[in-house]
Amino acid sequence: MRISWPKSIRSRLTLWYLLVLAGLLLIYATLVFAFQYVVLTRQIVHDEIQDVETVEGLLYFNFQGALELRQDYYSRPQSHLLIDRMMEVRDLSGNVLYRSPTLNGMPLGGATRKGEGDANFDQRVLRLQDGSYVLVISHIHSIQGQELLIRLGYSLGPLRERMFHFLLLLLLAVPIAIALAGFAGQMIAKRALKPLERMAARAEGITASNLSSRLEVRNPNDELGHMARVINHLLDRLEQAFFQLQRFTSDAAHELRTPLASVRTIGEVALEKGHDSEEYRDALGSILEETGRLNETIESLLLLAKAEATQPGDRQTTFIASDLINEVLNLLEVVIEERNVVVIQESASEGRANVHADRSLLRVAILNVLHNALKFSPNKATLRISYSRSESGPERLFITFQDQGPGIPPGEHRRVFDRFFTSSARATASQSGAGLGLSVAKLVIDRIGGEMWFDEKIVQGAKCTIALPVFSDFVGLMLVGH
Amino acid sequence: MASSRSKILIIEDDKKMSDALASGIAVAGYEVTTASSAEEGFFLVHSLRPDLLLLDLTLPQRNGLDILRQIRRGGLDVRVLILTSHNSVEDRVEGFQTGADDYLGKPFSFPELMARIDALLRRFLPTSRTALNVGDLILDSGSRTASRGGEALDLTAREFDLLLYLAENHGRTVSREMLAKDVWRETSRYTPIDNVIDVQVARLRRKVDDPFAVKLLQTVRGLGFKLREPIS
Repeated sequence: MRISWPKSIRSRLTLWYLLVLAGLLLIYATLVFAFQYVVLTRQIVHDEIQDVETVEGLLYFNFQGALELRQDYYSRPQSHLLIDRMMEVRDLSGNVLYRSPTLNGMPLGGATRKGEGDANFDQRVLRLQDGSYVLVISHIHSIQGQELLIRLGYSLGPLRERMFHFLLLLLLAVPIAIALAGFAGQMIAKRALKPLERMAARAEGITASNLSSRLEVRNPNDELGHMARVINHLLDRLEQAFFQLQRFTSDAAHELRTPLASVRTIGEVALEKGHDSEEYRDALGSILEETGRLNETIESLLLLAKAEATQPGDRQTTFIASDLINEVLNLLEVVIEERNVVVIQESASEGRANVHADRSLLRVAILNVLHNALKFSPNKATLRISYSRSESGPERLFITFQDQGPGIPPGEHRRVFDRFFTSSARATASQSGAGLGLSVAKLVIDRIGGEMWFDEKIVQGAKCTIALPVFSDFVGLMLVGH
Repeated sequence: MASSRSKILIIEDDKKMSDALASGIAVAGYEVTTASSAEEGFFLVHSLRPDLLLLDLTLPQRNGLDILRQIRRGGLDVRVLILTSHNSVEDRVEGFQTGADDYLGKPFSFPELMARIDALLRRFLPTSRTALNVGDLILDSGSRTASRGGEALDLTAREFDLLLYLAENHGRTVSREMLAKDVWRETSRYTPIDNVIDVQVARLRRKVDDPFAVKLLQTVRGLGFKLREPIS
């Protein structure tokens, strides 16, 4: 048989709670029962000792020399266990001198045991011939000059019966308590989980068209409130990403439409008023240049999509960072020479750090950054590239590119990474491309766990820093080993 | 001469594209036929027996790769150049595996298409000569030296490669895409590369053309560059 575990948290919680409660109640009942038993037994022993003391005063030898008990003892009202009291008196040689009528002639314990009752009140449990159990205490007393062993016992029957009823009551109370607790637990759990149902219902209603709606936070400090806040933050981020995507789509459409509009206008104007082939040639060349721009934008968009889709581990290789920088510098060498720009590399030895990334994508990123710096550098300017390593934490390589161009206007240091961003500064507007170069670079570098930013404190020129996680040789060797 | 003209079949459903290609290729001296659907194209492949097939992949009803597969299964001897806007590495690999001889992503530059067609039909055999000349410009690919009018030109390695590539294709326009791919060996094109190419060509022009009266290196606006003797 398979026991099916309840599906809802509410029932599971209640069930667990009940199991624990039942266990605790059973332990509690056992302890109470044991304690009660011990206390009552001690009370009996105590009563018996008092009885022995009393009896001692009531025992006398009659004129025939037989031992008798003064009968007025029975009228003592204090003891309610009187009926059950049994007594036997023996002399030290073992002869029974007195036996209470309640014993019906049965002996209360056999022969005198060694040392029985000579110093203390000895206590033991006996089984009588009729099968009933008796708690007996023995004590030696001297009566009228004769040493006598008094055995006094109470039947344990009534006590055991009472204890049995007590146990039954306890055992009966446990299921009742559990049933009540279960019901209460179920109600409490239901109440506690109610906000969860509300949250689920609310979350189900959130779609792309109402991404701005949020879960209700009743008590921000409890667990469910925390949960709701976490989900709301998730929604914030999703909404932002969604908004960015929408803006990106409209920006991209705009960016594609601009050259398209030029193509159309150039073609229309040429057809309308062009007469000689030179004019047509000019118009066609212009149209082709615009299609080139269109194509570049599409290539950049595809590159963004590719970088966006990069999963860790895709096409990644390990290579030395400064080698890649030098390779890109080599590619741009002709532009550098043409502009008479002086490139200075500082602490180049620090740059010989291993980087683990998609090399072709990182190359595009570095190419975009360097080309950007060169594009804005005036003739005969200096482009300073310096390398440094992080001093604490996980090892990182910082590569900074400082140019002497017009710099970035205040407040635009972050926005330069926005897709299709064009600076408000007029000096740069004429030279900017599709506005995707830095976005691509940042995306690629973010994806390999790096960071990229422009220093906001630099007023003269622009200082771009790229921080790349250094791929340690140890891990590298392990990977190679695999 | 007319009988030796190579036959080219274009299977392309976009009429404008197909017409433009046909007229452009015909100018270069090929016999061009166009088909706008897979069925028509397949029929023409068998009846016309073209030397080269320009195949678009996104055709109505049937995928271009299906046709290619069928042609290859039939064992027809025809070179196939795929023209498509599906231009990822995976698409290329699939194209080559299906049996394409070459693969060109849309949008492509027309000069590049012509260069590929010529290469596939071996109209321009790879030069085994080490010396090439365009007008009074002489290039020796063995010693990697260049001279013009008997005067040695002082070229960097990249400049020599660029000039050699232009000389090998002399008389034809070479696009920036072709230069990026064949001279710079860049796998894809981005703005900085075009900038580098433009600057490099400008510098080369300063050395090859500026000191001389006759200008050999021309810029074809919107297309690329061309090395040739001006027609007087």
